[in-house]
Amino acid sequence: MSEVHINHVYKRFGDVTAVDDLSLLFKAGEFVSVLGPSGCGKTTLLRMLAGLETPSAGEISIGDKVVNDLPPGSRDIAMVFQTYALYPHMTVRGNIEYPLKKRRTPKAERAVKVKDAAELLQLEELLDRKPRQLSGGQQQRVALGRALVRDPAVFLLDEPLSNLDAKLRAHMRAELIQLHERIGKTMVYVTHDQLEAMTMSHRIAVLRFGVLQQFASPDEVYRKPANEFVAGFIGTPSMNFIAGEIDNSDGKLTFCGGGVALSVQAGLLPDGLIADGDKFLVKMGFRPEDIFIGDQGDDALVSVVEPTGHEVIVLIDLNGNEVVARVNPDVRLKAGDKVKLRFRPDKLHFFGTKEGIRLNV
Amino acid sequence: MSADTTAKLPWFRRSYRNFSLEEKYAVLGMILIAPTVMTFCAVIAYPLIAAIYLSFFSIYTPTMEGHWVGFSNYATLLQSGEFWRSLWNNIIWTVGTLTLQILFGILVAMMLHQNMVFRSLARSLVLFPYFLSTVVAVLVWKWLFNDLYGVLNHLFMWAGVIDMPVDWLGKMPNAMLSLIFVGAWKYFPFVVIAVLARLQSIPEELYEAAKIDGAGVFARFFDVTLPQLKDVLVVIILLRTIWDFKEFDLINLMTGGGPIIATQTLSLMVYKEAFALNQMGASSAVAVLMMLVMLVFMALYLRKAKGPSE
Amino acid sequence: MSLKKKSRRVLFNLFAWSVIGLIAFPLIWMLVTSIKPQSELFLIPPTLLPSEITFEHYWRLIDETPFLTYMKNSIILALSTTAVVIVIATLGAHSLLRFSYPGRERLAQLVLFTYLLPSVVLIIPLYFLMIWIGLANSLISLVIAYTTFSLPYALWLLRSFMAAIPDDLESAALVDGATRMEAFIDVILPQALPGIISTALFTMILAWNEYLYALVLVNTDESRPLTTGVMSILITSFNIEWSLLMAASVMMSVPLIVAFVFLQKYLTRGFGAGAVKG
Repeated sequence: MSEVHINHVYKRFGDVTAVDDLSLLFKAGEFVSVLGPSGCGKTTLLRMLAGLETPSAGEISIGDKVVNDLPPGSRDIAMVFQTYALYPHMTVRGNIEYPLKKRRTPKAERAVKVKDAAELLQLEELLDRKPRQLSGGQQQRVALGRALVRDPAVFLLDEPLSNLDAKLRAHMRAELIQLHERIGKTMVYVTHDQLEAMTMSHRIAVLRFGVLQQFASPDEVYRKPANEFVAGFIGTPSMNFIAGEIDNSDGKLTFCGGGVALSVQAGLLPDGLIADGDKFLVKMGFRPEDIFIGDQGDDALVSVVEPTGHEVIVLIDLNGNEVVARVNPDVRLKAGDKVKLRFRPDKLHFFGTKEGIRLNV
Repeated sequence: MSADTTAKLPWFRRSYRNFSLEEKYAVLGMILIAPTVMTFCAVIAYPLIAAIYLSFFSIYTPTMEGHWVGFSNYATLLQSGEFWRSLWNNIIWTVGTLTLQILFGILVAMMLHQNMVFRSLARSLVLFPYFLSTVVAVLVWKWLFNDLYGVLNHLFMWAGVIDMPVDWLGKMPNAMLSLIFVGAWKYFPFVVIAVLARLQSIPEELYEAAKIDGAGVFARFFDVTLPQLKDVLVVIILLRTIWDFKEFDLINLMTGGGPIIATQTLSLMVYKEAFALNQMGASSAVAVLMMLVMLVFMALYLRKAKGPSE
Repeated sequence: MSLKKKSRRVLFNLFAWSVIGLIAFPLIWMLVTSIKPQSELFLIPPTLLPSEITFEHYWRLIDETPFLTYMKNSIILALSTTAVVIVIATLGAHSLLRFSYPGRERLAQLVLFTYLLPSVVLIIPLYFLMIWIGLANSLISLVIAYTTFSLPYALWLLRSFMAAIPDDLESAALVDGATRMEAFIDVILPQALPGIISTALFTMILAWNEYLYALVLVNTDESRPLTTGVMSILITSFNIEWSLLMAASVMMSVPLIVAFVFLQKYLTRGFGAGAVKG
C-alpha cells in the first residue's frame, strides 16, 4: 500500500505533448480512475507510472521513492493490460508464476501463492491450459492473477474491461470492487468509460489533451463539474447547454438566452461576480433530469421520443435549441407535442465563455 | 518543468550508473545492433565504397597493381558499343522475363485459388522452381534444349512445328528468347505466392455483389480482382525488376553472354571485365554504372515499402 | 451438383493439372534421366518411362567425382552461414523494433537498401579483401561473403515477423520484473520462433544455391561447394554426361524436397513476407 505522487509531469512525443504539467497525489489504498476520451494521455500516464515510458520532465514517486529512473520491475507495481498481454506459450500457471520467478521466489512458496491467487479468481481448473484456450473473461482473470500474485504496492489497470461484452463487464466491475475491498491496495484504473469510473472509484481524475480537468470524487465530478468539458463529458445523456448572458439589475440576476429568461437563484453564483447594471456572457448547463415537462414554463416542441423502459429520453426543441430531457415513462409524449418546460432552479450550472470555467459557488 | 531545467551533464560526461532508464535502454539497443552494424561496415559499406574508388583506377587482375586514371574508365565505357549493347540486352531481358512472370504468375495464382484436387501438392510443385538452385535449373534446361538428344526438339518435330532441330542457345534471337523463357519459369512462383496471398484476402462479398450486379467472369476479373491486386502488383513488379536486372547466375550459366555478346547483360560484363579481361578498374566502373541505373528502382521500392507500413 | 457443373469441374481440374504438369515437367525429366541406363539416353524418340531403373549414375557420381566433398562443403557453408546470420539478425531485428536510439530509422532503411544491392558490385572489393587477409579459397571466405546478401535478407524478414509480436507482451514481462534481455529471452524469442525457423530455412536455401561468390572466391576442389563443383564436373569431363549431371542435380535438390515435404508451413509463411509486405 503506497501513495503515488505525480509532480509536474510532462511527456512529449516529438511535437505532441501527451501529458502536460500533471500533478496528482493518489492516497494509499485509494481506488483512482483516470478518465478521458481517447488520446487524452491517460494511457501514457499509466505507462509512465509503470516505467514503460519516461517522463520528459517532472517527477513520479511511489511510496517515498522517486521512481523516474527505476525499471518497471523495481517499482513494486503490477499492471493489467487492455490486451491482457498473457504469454501465449506459457500455461495459466506459467503466466501467474512468471513474476514470482523473476523475483527469485522459492519454488514451494511460488506454488502456494499461485494456488491462492487461482483460488481467489476461480482459476484452479484452468491452471494447465494455454491462454488461447480460455474465454475473454477467463483471460482477464489470469491477467489479474498475474498482477495479484506478487502482492505489489500499486495496481495499474489499463482499460481492463474494454474487451469484454456488456454483461461480463458489469459482472467484472463488481468483482473488481470486491477485490479492491479485500486487498486494499492503491489502484490506478484508466478508462474511457465513465460508468466504470463513477461506479468503482473513490476519486476520478478527468484528463483532456494531457491536461488535468478535475480530480474529485464521482459525486463531486457529477454535481460540481469544474468546467464545461467535464460537465459535458460526465453523464449520459450529456448535460444541455444554452449560451446567453446574465444581467444584474438591482442585485437581481437574470439569465437570458435561447429565448428563455429566468431569474437566477440567490447564492448560486458568487456575490460580486457581476456588478450592478452589468452583463456577463455565460453558458448555462442543466442535466436532462433537471427539467420538468408540465403545464407551466417556456413553450417547446417535442421532436423525438426514445423510451428505454425505465425512463424516456425526450429531445425537445426549445426556441431552436435542442434540449434533452429525461422523464418518467408514465408521461405520455409523442413527437410534435407542444409542451411547457421548467428548470430546477437549484441545479443550474454556469460556465464562463472563455475556457468554460465553472462560475457557481 | 523541473527535470528539464536541472541541468544534466551530457551523456558522455556521466558514468553508465548515472544514465536515465531511457539512456540505459538506448545503450542496450545499440549493443544489440552492433554486430549487424559491424558486419555491414565490413562486408557491405567498405566494399561498396571500395568499388567506387577502384573504378578510378586501371588495375590488372592477376597482379592487382594499378594506377589512378580518373574518369577515363567511365569515358571509355560510355563510348564503347559493348556497354550500351549490354545495357540494352539487360533491358530486353528484364522487360521480357518480367512480363512473362507477371502474366503467368497471375494466371497460375488464379488457378490455384480455385477449388482443385490436391491443391497443396499443386502449390508445392509450382513453387519448386523458385527454390531450386539456378545451377540445377540451367543443367536441366540445357538438357531439354540439347540440339541432338533434347526432348524439346523431338517434341516440336513430332508435332510438326519444326522440321530441323533448332539451336536454342547458340543463335539469336533464340538464345535471348530461351533465356527469357527459362527466367520466367524459374521466377514466376514468386508472383504466384504473392498474388495468391492477396487473392485469399479479397472479401467474398465483393464478388457476390458484382455477381448480383450482373458482372460476368471477365468483368469480375477486371472490376474486382485487378483493382484489389494493384498495390501488391506494383511492389512485385518493382522488386522483380530489381532482381531480374541484376541476375547473373542464370544468364552466365545458360549462354555465358553468347553468342558473342548477344545476351551479355551488365552483371556479366562486370564479371568478364574483371576475371576474363583482367581489367578490375573498368569492371568496377561498369558495376557502379549498373548500380546507378538500379538506384531509380531501388528508390521507388524504398518509398513504396515505407509507405504502407507507417 | 448438376451434371453440367460436375463436368465443368472435371474439365477445370484436367486443365489445371496439365498446366502444373508442364511446369513440373523439367523436374520430372531430370529425375527420369538420372535413373535411365546410359544406353537408353540417346534413343530416338526418347522414352518417358525408363525400361529399367538404375542407380549407376549416382554411384559413379560418388565414386568418380569429388561430389561428396562438394556436398560436405555446401552443408558446412549453409549451416554456418545460417547460424551466424540468424544470431546477428535476431538481435538486430529486436533492436530495430523495440529500442530507440539516434539513427535507428535510417538504419532500417539502409538494411532494405542493401537487401536490393547487386552482388556484382561488391564482388571485386571482396575478392581483394579475401586475398589481402589471406582467406581466399577457403570456406570462411564464402561464409563472410554470404552474409552480404543473407544478413540484410534475414534482418528484413525477421523484422516483419517480429513486428507482429504485440508490444504489450514485452511490457508485461518488464512489469513482471524481467530485465529487457530477460524479456527478450523469455517472451520475444519463443514468440518469434516460427519466424526464426522460416528465416533460417530461407537463409539456408540462399546459401545452398549461391553461385557467383563461390565462382569468384574459391578455385580449389577442397573448398568448392556444390553449385560451382557440379559445373566443374560439366566443364572438366571429356564429353558431357547428362545422366551424371541429372543425378547430381537430383542430389542437389534433395534437401529442398525434404524442406518442402516437412517444413512447407514455414516456407509459405516466410515466402516474400519481408519483401512483399514491406
